[in-house]
Amino acid sequence: MPSDHEKDAYPQPPRQTPVVDRQTALPNPTLILAKLFYYSVDVPVTTFRDAIDSIRGKNKPVFYHQKFRRVPDLTECRQGDYLCYYESEMQWRRDYKVDQEILKVVKERMRACKTREGPSFQQNCAPEMKLFNEVTQNYALRYADLGAYASGRRCLMKQKERMMAAQAQSA
Amino acid sequence: MVGMSVLRSAAALAARLSPLKSGNNVANLLTRTIPRTDKVAVRWGHGKKMFLIKPSAFYDKRFLSLLRYYTLLTGIPMVIVVTTVNIYVGEAELVETPEDYEPEYWEYYKHPITRWIARTFYDSPVKDYEKMMAAIQIEKEKSDMRLTQLEVRRQMRTKGDGPWFHAETLDKELIDNSPKATPDH
Repeated sequence: MPSDHEKDAYPQPPRQTPVVDRQTALPNPTLILAKLFYYSVDVPVTTFRDAIDSIRGKNKPVFYHQKFRRVPDLTECRQGDYLCYYESEMQWRRDYKVDQEILKVVKERMRACKTREGPSFQQNCAPEMKLFNEVTQNYALRYADLGAYASGRRCLMKQKERMMAAQAQSA
Repeated sequence: MVGMSVLRSAAALAARLSPLKSGNNVANLLTRTIPRTDKVAVRWGHGKKMFLIKPSAFYDKRFLSLLRYYTLLTGIPMVIVVTTVNIYVGEAELVETPEDYEPEYWEYYKHPITRWIARTFYDSPVKDYEKMMAAIQIEKEKSDMRLTQLEVRRQMRTKGDGPWFHAETLDKELIDNSPKATPDH
């Protein structure tokens, strides 16, 4: 299991747990359940993970994030320059994958916000919901209906159709 | 003798009248008495035994047994290997690329087995990219050459001044010009 993500990247809202003000002598069932969960699940799992980590040793392998150079787009290629076509096509495919991951991240943020807020999510999650709607609409405008044989060329043609439709509508 | 027969018949009578009394068993040794069917040992086990008539399970059992055997033959070593690798080598951690360091192409993957496969069997993705670009370049050059060849054919055929499309004619020296007034007539 990798380490947890950076807590500063997606900051959680400040906790609003009220201060405990016990007025009865009865035991708190939530506290009992929490302690039970801790001792029955959390402690064994943590000790197992620490044991395995100690076996692994200090020199752990590392992996890096690959960064690709930007190459000329399909619109900047001369006609018949098949090498330029290939490079722009590969770049378009990488960008398609990146856009899919962006969509996943935004969707995950929305879901987390919704789970956190509970029934009051429509008020408290408004910025996340707005971002999610925008991102999905833009993604659908750009990539939806391209199909399984999607290509940079077909995406460009879709954009051309959109521009033509917008021009016809405005004129 | 007579006393013996009286004893015998008396024991038989007592046995017949009350067969469950313990003292009356002695009569068995003396005379022919009624058989005691309630104390015979019957060994059938628990419950009523039945001969069930059902279709043969031999082929099904054999198939399942062979399936288990052949999947576990490679399954168990593979599970052991993967577990050992996950415990003793472990997955890689994501770090920032150092400034002056160019990572090898297999250092971009997380799981150690994926890294090993990429290192041992696969070419670098950069090399694959360049191979594809080389193939595209070769095909492009072939296509360009074919197009120029067609164009040259067309030009030479129409203009007639190129080395192609010459019709073979006889050697000039073989013509007999003696009966002719001019070489053309």
